[in-house]
Amino acid sequence: MSSALRHRLFSYGVVVPFAIVLAFPFVWMAVTSFKPEAQVYDPTKVWSFHPTLASYGFLFHHTGYVRWIKNSTFVGLMVVLITLVVAVPAGYALARLAGRVGRSLGVAIFLTYLVPPTLLFLPLSRVISRLGLEDRLWALILIYPSFTIPFAIWLLMGFFKSIPQELEDAALIDGCSRFGALVRIVLPISVPGLLTVVIFTFSLVVNEFVYAITFISSSTNRTLTVGVPTDLIRGDLYNWPGIMAAILIPSIPLALVYNAFLNRFITGFTGGAFR
Amino acid sequence: MTESKDEPSPEATLLSRREFLKKAGAGAAVIGVAGAAAPFSFAGPLRYKGRWLSGNLSLLTWVHFVPSYDQWLDPWAQQWGQANDVQVTIEHINNTLLDTRAAAEVAAQSGHDVFFNLHPMASYEDQVIDHTPIIQEVQAKVGKYMPIAQSSTYNPMTKKYFAVSDSYVPDPVVWRHDLWNGIGESPATWDHVKAAAPKLKAIGHPIGIGQSQELDSNMALIAFLMCFGSFIQNEHNHPTLQSKNTVDAVKFMAEIYQSGETSDIFGWNPASNNNYLYSGTGSLILNAISATRTPESLNLPFSNDLWIWPIPAGPHGRLGLEHLMGTWNIWKFAQNKSAAQKFLADLCIAGKDACIQSQLYNFPTFENAFPFDQINKFAAADTHPPKGKYTILTTIAKKYTHNIGYPGTTNAAIDEIFSKYLIPQMFAQVSQGKETAEDSVRHTMTAVKDIYAKWRKRGKI
Repeated sequence: MSSALRHRLFSYGVVVPFAIVLAFPFVWMAVTSFKPEAQVYDPTKVWSFHPTLASYGFLFHHTGYVRWIKNSTFVGLMVVLITLVVAVPAGYALARLAGRVGRSLGVAIFLTYLVPPTLLFLPLSRVISRLGLEDRLWALILIYPSFTIPFAIWLLMGFFKSIPQELEDAALIDGCSRFGALVRIVLPISVPGLLTVVIFTFSLVVNEFVYAITFISSSTNRTLTVGVPTDLIRGDLYNWPGIMAAILIPSIPLALVYNAFLNRFITGFTGGAFR
Repeated sequence: MTESKDEPSPEATLLSRREFLKKAGAGAAVIGVAGAAAPFSFAGPLRYKGRWLSGNLSLLTWVHFVPSYDQWLDPWAQQWGQANDVQVTIEHINNTLLDTRAAAEVAAQSGHDVFFNLHPMASYEDQVIDHTPIIQEVQAKVGKYMPIAQSSTYNPMTKKYFAVSDSYVPDPVVWRHDLWNGIGESPATWDHVKAAAPKLKAIGHPIGIGQSQELDSNMALIAFLMCFGSFIQNEHNHPTLQSKNTVDAVKFMAEIYQSGETSDIFGWNPASNNNYLYSGTGSLILNAISATRTPESLNLPFSNDLWIWPIPAGPHGRLGLEHLMGTWNIWKFAQNKSAAQKFLADLCIAGKDACIQSQLYNFPTFENAFPFDQINKFAAADTHPPKGKYTILTTIAKKYTHNIGYPGTTNAAIDEIFSKYLIPQMFAQVSQGKETAEDSVRHTMTAVKDIYAKWRKRGKI
């Protein structure tokens, strides 16, 4: 057996079991979403499969599912925008701030990301109330950057540090301003880092639950994470096919986006690691 | 073409300022008088029939375990709003999120006018209005407020009703008759349960009584303690948990776990015991009748074999708890307290409809809203086999259902013990072999004493 074949067999031997284990929940989710509700609960019919689109019909016709997706998307995009506007200059400034101050500031900013929402939601409730933003999506748009910005700054800081200072120096000598150097030289090289921030921020926002359940109460303003458990779990009765369909639908485009930008995503995350 | 003589000249159609004011004034007077004298003459019904109620009313409640209840409540609330000229907004959230939401609303000092919870929120007494007028109004119409509701929502120390309860939910034992019959047992007493547990587990159908930080475990285990003569407090609201009876009960439950349950029970949520039953695995749980209604609606193969009985008897007798205590709370920061009070009074008066629409899940807390004999007749008419199985609910509700904190009242200390899940933790520590029963009870009692001291200092006990 040639060494190349051995190498390939070894790689597949490691990857295939992992792929099966990781893909299994998705397959199970997809299969369950096409099952009738009663069949999911019937222990005698665990392995039988009579596909139906009933749960998808229920989602689109008897719940505010489309509205929840719209709300989640709107909040996600707004938060991504705010995060980029704040985190890019902040990350750049911290990356170029030499010495102990820059490092300490970077660590301090990242530490704020570690404060759990389960502690913060109580004081933030008062803030939201004072601002008159109860039950409005703007409450989430205001609060979410409090955890997306620190992470994005930390991530971009590492990425910017990996860009050689000489490139900017050359631009400055050629008459570029500091801001011009950032826009014309640094940002074009930093696309993987920016892309990582966009995808990661959007995912964090779409998956967030505690603030969404605390600050939003009306069904029209619910996001996906709140709408699904509220309308598809009735006490002790989980509408499993509906829940699975509700999760499967947004996970497909997200998976495609991840897949399309996988290499850049990895570069973005590891940008600061190979300096 | 000649000008017609019949047509007025442009000058003739013009009004002088004096004439304009005269006509406008007369018109306004006519409209004003007609409008005030005959409300329907030109503008339809007046917007606010009862001025003291006018405006908006927002309510937050749970997603009911029996969907037909919400299908009744939501339109009922809208009809009530139309009848009283109040814009009612009613929102539903999952039951596990109610406590978090209450904490957030209190922290923000804003939110809904009326907040529903499944247990009395005695620790929020200072945040809510005194609900006495509501209870008095309802009592005048549909009879006495039942002792279980009185004990759950009244603080004898401050003489304040910190909530009004419209309903409570009996908590029977739900068991698979086919499985238990197969081993020649029935859950009449806890000794029977202990004897049957290993046999049931051996045939792949363990018992399902939770020991987790969740509502159902709390209810089942506090009721279990009571059957063994162990009470968190006495009738004077003094803590009495540390006793030989408590130690015996904890040991007994640990034996049931070790011989007849699985470790799943330590990680359960309020839906887990039901789902354990629905999956065909569980052979016995303590739960409200949603555990039988759901299999009936899904037509599960064993739904006809699900029997409901009162809680098994222990050495101290058969003492159960309500499974849920439906309590409505009007915050002090509510924007429309008058409408909130009227709404809750009318909701309590409609207790019969609520009981029927919830398929006997909600039992009214006012005696004549739907008297027990009528509930019994309604239950007897239920056709789900075994026929008449729901009639036992009235017996359970009347004889074996008590408030949390029995024989005392549900107070702030009990609320905190309940919300911190100290009792399930006490059991789990022993069942998992982490502590001896004596140590676990002693440690729990230390925490309980601290909680009582805190609330006594605040003048709530």
